[in-house]
Amino acid sequence: MEKQVCCDEALVLDAAMEAGHILLQNGAEISRVEETMSRICKHYGVESGDFFVMGNGIMTTGGTNVGGSYARVRYIPVMGSRLDRVIAVNQLSREISEGKYEDIAKVKQKLEEIKNLPEKKIWKQIVASGMGSGFFCVLSGGGLWDSTAAFFVGVLLYVFVLFVTKPHFNKIVGNIFGGIVAALLCIVFYLIGFGHNLSCMMSGAVMPLVPGVAFTNGIRDIAGGDYISGSVRLLDAALVFISIAIGVGVMLSVYRGITGGILL
Amino acid sequence: MIAKILSAALGTVGFSLLFGVPRKYYLNCALIGGAGWFGYEIALRLGCGTGAAVFIATVLLALLSRFAAVYRQCPTTVFLIAGIFPLVPGAGIYWTAYYLVSNQLNEALSSGATALKTIFGIVLGIVFVFEIPYKVFAVARPRKKKEA
Repeated sequence: MEKQVCCDEALVLDAAMEAGHILLQNGAEISRVEETMSRICKHYGVESGDFFVMGNGIMTTGGTNVGGSYARVRYIPVMGSRLDRVIAVNQLSREISEGKYEDIAKVKQKLEEIKNLPEKKIWKQIVASGMGSGFFCVLSGGGLWDSTAAFFVGVLLYVFVLFVTKPHFNKIVGNIFGGIVAALLCIVFYLIGFGHNLSCMMSGAVMPLVPGVAFTNGIRDIAGGDYISGSVRLLDAALVFISIAIGVGVMLSVYRGITGGILL
Repeated sequence: MIAKILSAALGTVGFSLLFGVPRKYYLNCALIGGAGWFGYEIALRLGCGTGAAVFIATVLLALLSRFAAVYRQCPTTVFLIAGIFPLVPGAGIYWTAYYLVSNQLNEALSSGATALKTIFGIVLGIVFVFEIPYKVFAVARPRKKKEA
């Protein structure tokens, strides 16, 4: 009987850990991770669970005197953002609270499914990046041609990000190269007369590189009192911002060197 | 101005797709992105500076995001991230790099400072709106059918 209790607790805590892992890895705030984990534990009657969630890891302990004790530390590297997974885990946790999952094994199965949610098709991502660049070029004052050029820059830039940056480079180097490629493409388009307002084209073109999720979550973590995780995320965002600016700057000075001091 | 609001909305959808937001939330994301830009433009016209205008826009879109989150029963993050994108100073990055490279250090400093102001506007907007208790937003909760 005692053994039974111990196993159940471990299963519940494992499931909570898994849910927390998915949330943290795919761009949820720290407070959401903690809340979801304790919600799952509470629903299955595990009162002993304690969690410590950081920007890149979760520590969980639990267990009663009757059963065994449970302790896990999991390192969770920062990854890209897949908000669909965050939404799915959130939905699952709500359904658990409503009592739709009485069997913990089913929760596990569902979490596995969430982990395997298919990514958006690559061509859709590429077109979306172009859309983002093109429309945000309009926001910074670009005309029709500028925006069309920014659209193509966004498309080509994301192809570069998907096939060169993501598999081969770390964040800093990757974003410096990203900035270089974006600036290079803009300059090329500008020189062949496709788009007339270089600054608008550039402002739109770099947008797909901007770390929106890290930035927003960093702010929210700090607002919620999770200073360490929040500052790590903001640092992450700041590094990306600076890397992009360095990339753009490098390309601009190369261009300046070639044309002998004339800067667009 | 209408063209800009529309492109803010459509650009927002593009970025929500990049972050893997499911299709059924696109409309909400677009509306929030457009509303954010609308707030920004109006505030600018009323004579606010960049920082204040971004703050007002962020407050508006963060409020909408929280209502949308309750209404659609899904994390606020989804709408907030998408909605903030139009306000992120992409142009600031470019101009700062441009002035630095061309050795116009004063201009570089001032455009960097403007970008920082924008960022602080966003930060303060989010921080204030998330202090509002959940109860206020509960009115948006979808009505459930009574189960007998």
